[in-house]
Amino acid sequence: MTYGLIPEKASQCNSNNVSRFGMVFSLLLLFFAGSAYAQVPNAVAPKGDHDGKHVEQPIEFPHDIHARDNKINCMYCHTYARRGNVAGIPPTSKCMGCHAVIATEKPRIKQLTEYWQKGESPKWKKVHDLPDFVHFNHEKHLNRFIFNNEGMEVERADEVCAFCHGEIKEMTVARKVKPLNMGFCRQCHEDNNGPSDCWKCHK
Amino acid sequence: MSLENILKDWSKYRRGHEEGGHHDYEHMWGMAIDLDKCTGCNACSVACYAENNLAVVGEEKFSKGQAMHWLRIERYWDEPDLGENRVNEYQIHGASFLPMNCQQCNAATCEPVCPVAATYHTPDGLNAQVYNRCIGSRYCSNNCPYRLRYFNFFSYYEDSWPEPLQMQLNPDISVRDKGVMEKCTFCVQRIRKAKDDAAREQRDVLDGDIKTACQQSCATQAIVFGDLLDEDSVVSKVWKKHEVALGKASQNKANPDKRGYRVLEGLNTDPCIMFLERVREV
Repeated sequence: MTYGLIPEKASQCNSNNVSRFGMVFSLLLLFFAGSAYAQVPNAVAPKGDHDGKHVEQPIEFPHDIHARDNKINCMYCHTYARRGNVAGIPPTSKCMGCHAVIATEKPRIKQLTEYWQKGESPKWKKVHDLPDFVHFNHEKHLNRFIFNNEGMEVERADEVCAFCHGEIKEMTVARKVKPLNMGFCRQCHEDNNGPSDCWKCHK
Repeated sequence: MSLENILKDWSKYRRGHEEGGHHDYEHMWGMAIDLDKCTGCNACSVACYAENNLAVVGEEKFSKGQAMHWLRIERYWDEPDLGENRVNEYQIHGASFLPMNCQQCNAATCEPVCPVAATYHTPDGLNAQVYNRCIGSRYCSNNCPYRLRYFNFFSYYEDSWPEPLQMQLNPDISVRDKGVMEKCTFCVQRIRKAKDDAAREQRDVLDGDIKTACQQSCATQAIVFGDLLDEDSVVSKVWKKHEVALGKASQNKANPDKRGYRVLEGLNTDPCIMFLERVREV
């Protein structure tokens, strides 16, 4: 299935000053993205957007090459999304599983190999950081929208991830494009019959 | 709980489904504390400090009654002058101990007085406190007959966990700031985890899956915790054995020798903690 989206240029992510064109562009992007979400069965996508700043990462990881061009499932690397509270950052060994042989001559992979040979992991920075008083469980949300959702294929998991994380597969380094505040969560819980008990999420 | 519920029928929200309220209780977490087993060692209180990120306020603030112990051990001494030859009785028997944590009342007096509905009843029968919503009016604390709600008069976290002690904080419960009321939650983070585990394995929460921090640390296993709606759980068996039931202002026992009682139940707060009286040789 196609999203009808133009891939966002990496240079736009890098600039801190979002140009007017960029804003219009991202609004358009959200509009198209919004219409794409509607195709997840038994789900109403949450609404709202956020002007996420670019986060400098130790290696400029290209989500677009992995998720869009090579169609690697989000959960291949973010393994714990379906098993626990946090989705998790893959260990360097997982990167090296492929990159010991694939694209070894590229500069970013050389950087990665250096880390690997030193026995260190790149110090990735957290992009989607919820406040400490919030209890959020990835596993439950994935079960509801993917695994226990009739008519939903696991191959399309990225559409569900995009509910809260935006079109990560059009970005290089991940950027926060959804507000992830209480109104955002509540509205989705109301639309999708999620729990409304305060203590489900507040801790 | 949504704002709609509060505006529509606040008092109805507090009642259970069978009483015509909103709650179809999923669980009813309850406790039984055997005072005959309790040695007053305070391990439960210490465990609570560690589990729930309780601030240590220091001696001066403690003496002003600003301590933040969600579970306190109350000491009761016998009257020293009960008559001739009994002058030293309190020395013979020592103190009586009463561990007091939030009684999780079903008809909690703290709930209806909150001006912002920061405290409410969950479908688990818990008396919840939402820190983000609390504005610190302290009305709930003044209305609690047990005095089991504690107020953050200061930003204790600044002094309580100097580096590197902040590493010991429990990530599953927030660190409360100044101006927020707090209280025992029956270790809701453990309840939440047990429920998540049970859901993953597609089963119900079993008796014994959840152990509160105080129960876990009790050297004499005086504390029993579980679901009162589950008839086979240890805690509901203890309640039944000692002829104590929910929803009553006084227990009319067929056998008056049964030791179970609830603190100040005559106030009709319907607490979920039952105590077993201490047995003494007089």
